[in-house]
Amino acid sequence: MALLEVHNLSIAYRTKRGLLQAVDNVSFSLEQGRSLGLVGESGCGKTTIGMALMGLLPRNGRVTGGGITLAGRDLLALTRQQWRELRWREIAMIFQAAMNALNPVQRVGEQIAEAILTHNPQMPRAQALSQVEGLYQLVGLPLERLRDYPHQYSGGMKQRAVIAMALACNPKVIVADEPTTALDVIVQDQILQETKSLQKEFNIGIIFISHDISIVAEVCHHIGIMYAGQMVETGSVAEVFSQARHPYTRALLGSFPALGGARRRLSPIAGEPPRLIGQLPGCRFCARCPVSGHSCKLEPPQWRQFSDSHFVLCDHCE
Amino acid sequence: MARYVIGRLGQIVVILFLIVTILFVLFRLAPGDPISRMVDPSLSPEEAANLIAQLGLDKPIGQQYLQYLKNFVAGNFGYSFHYGLPVWQVIMAKLPNTILLFSTAMVLSALVGISWGKIAAWKKGRGTDILLTVAALVTHTLFLPWLALIFIWVFGYKLGWLPINGMISAEVWLDPTSGLWDKALDVLYHMVLPMITLFIMHFGSYLLVMRSSMLQTLREDYIITARAKGLSERAIRNHHAAPNAWLPVITSVGLSLAFSINGGALTETVFSWPGIGRELVLAVSQNDYPLAQASFLLIAMVVLFANLVVDVLYAYFDPRIRY
Repeated sequence: MALLEVHNLSIAYRTKRGLLQAVDNVSFSLEQGRSLGLVGESGCGKTTIGMALMGLLPRNGRVTGGGITLAGRDLLALTRQQWRELRWREIAMIFQAAMNALNPVQRVGEQIAEAILTHNPQMPRAQALSQVEGLYQLVGLPLERLRDYPHQYSGGMKQRAVIAMALACNPKVIVADEPTTALDVIVQDQILQETKSLQKEFNIGIIFISHDISIVAEVCHHIGIMYAGQMVETGSVAEVFSQARHPYTRALLGSFPALGGARRRLSPIAGEPPRLIGQLPGCRFCARCPVSGHSCKLEPPQWRQFSDSHFVLCDHCE
Repeated sequence: MARYVIGRLGQIVVILFLIVTILFVLFRLAPGDPISRMVDPSLSPEEAANLIAQLGLDKPIGQQYLQYLKNFVAGNFGYSFHYGLPVWQVIMAKLPNTILLFSTAMVLSALVGISWGKIAAWKKGRGTDILLTVAALVTHTLFLPWLALIFIWVFGYKLGWLPINGMISAEVWLDPTSGLWDKALDVLYHMVLPMITLFIMHFGSYLLVMRSSMLQTLREDYIITARAKGLSERAIRNHHAAPNAWLPVITSVGLSLAFSINGGALTETVFSWPGIGRELVLAVSQNDYPLAQASFLLIAMVVLFANLVVDVLYAYFDPRIRY
């Protein structure tokens, strides 16, 4: 049994225009110490999945089907109190630091200590703070910055602080939602390398959410490509990268520049993803797909298996 | 910080100079003749002219202005026409009463308004929120003298629970057996109605500002972080949302102070509270120029310094602000 299992998960938002099916029948699993990248464009449902894993869906969002189990425990059956105890201790999150993930009027060290103290109410404050010192050393932050406020940190330092915060309670799983998106490429690379080595050191499972397939390829063992609320291709990094099968995955790879290899023109994906309100028969990528046949519009595509780990949701991908 | 405060004090001096000048012009433009009040009609014209010369009112206006500035810098505000006492003495007798009433009412309405605003935002759209918001809107738009009169009529006259005017009752203060405690209670008893009137007029604006600020704060990402860390809702509200939400409220407290002063004058007048606001209204209606000028000036100074205090407080509560 995998550490984290997501089985046929569906999530919908109540909106003024109707029920929006943000996530539709998504399944994946994550072993301890492994990492899975969820890749897709804005609105494909990747962040919604991350929030559902933390039990933090917005008020109008609801899991409409499927299940999530963490270490054999059914997360969807948890009470609010149980969720509160489980969050951060079992499953933590690395937020995008540029997005104000840190409280601007509280010292950074205090905010990390707060996470420790919340889950260890008996622990003396001084001990929590000394643990925070350890975390700072781990992520390469100077100790004298413990008592600083978030605005005194650079973007990269904030990101390190957010990572330190995620590690504070030794979680089994970390959900990293676009953790390096706002950083310049050099800092981005440093942070990614450090995240990778920390993951190995502590044997943490990571769900890495990003719109940038190249970042995910660098950090993750497995990739799940998402489109319009569905997982459309999943497999090991090597499989998805070098033997991409789904037309969307191929289009996605074609729209990113490669550093090595022959120079080629980038090809944008024309059109927009469908609106996720109401019935969507057939394949969702159909309207933008270069290889779609007539049947795609009528019948939902079937999963095809290409190896032990490589699955593709498409009828026309040979 | 010290540099900033010194700079601000310099600004305050400049603004005070402008206010003093405007006051000088305003009072010269005002209708009514101060001499006619001071001077007995039975005096002969020579005697009246003598008096005018003594007061310096026969000099050219420029010279009067310079003299006025000089006196002001020396802290000499002249004599009240009405009381025949130094203006300073009149003001010092009334000021503590105003500070007592006004600061109690303001602290109360700010504290209550902020905490109710916090709760209203937290319970957005539910019964508590609707009740509090409607109450804030209604009380905020009430006409203060009307409210004060209704209170006097209901609690003072119909029910007879509370005194309707003044600050002390003679029978308590003249009774040699009553101690300090009895006297304090007596003042408190007189304070209830004017304080509640001021409170009702002012808590609403704090509540509304805090509510909207809090609603905005609750959408911030660090609130999601706090929730993700497993904090209780109470800790999220009080340790993460509220300390960010009350920053704009501090500013609004400082700004509204200036506007609440006229409410204070009205309240003091309706309840005959012997404070500086009531004195100001009386001084204006009696053409008591020196007293009115000094009261205006005092109010301006209070507002200016209150705003300075607010700015310093802001830096204390928001680490991003450093001067």
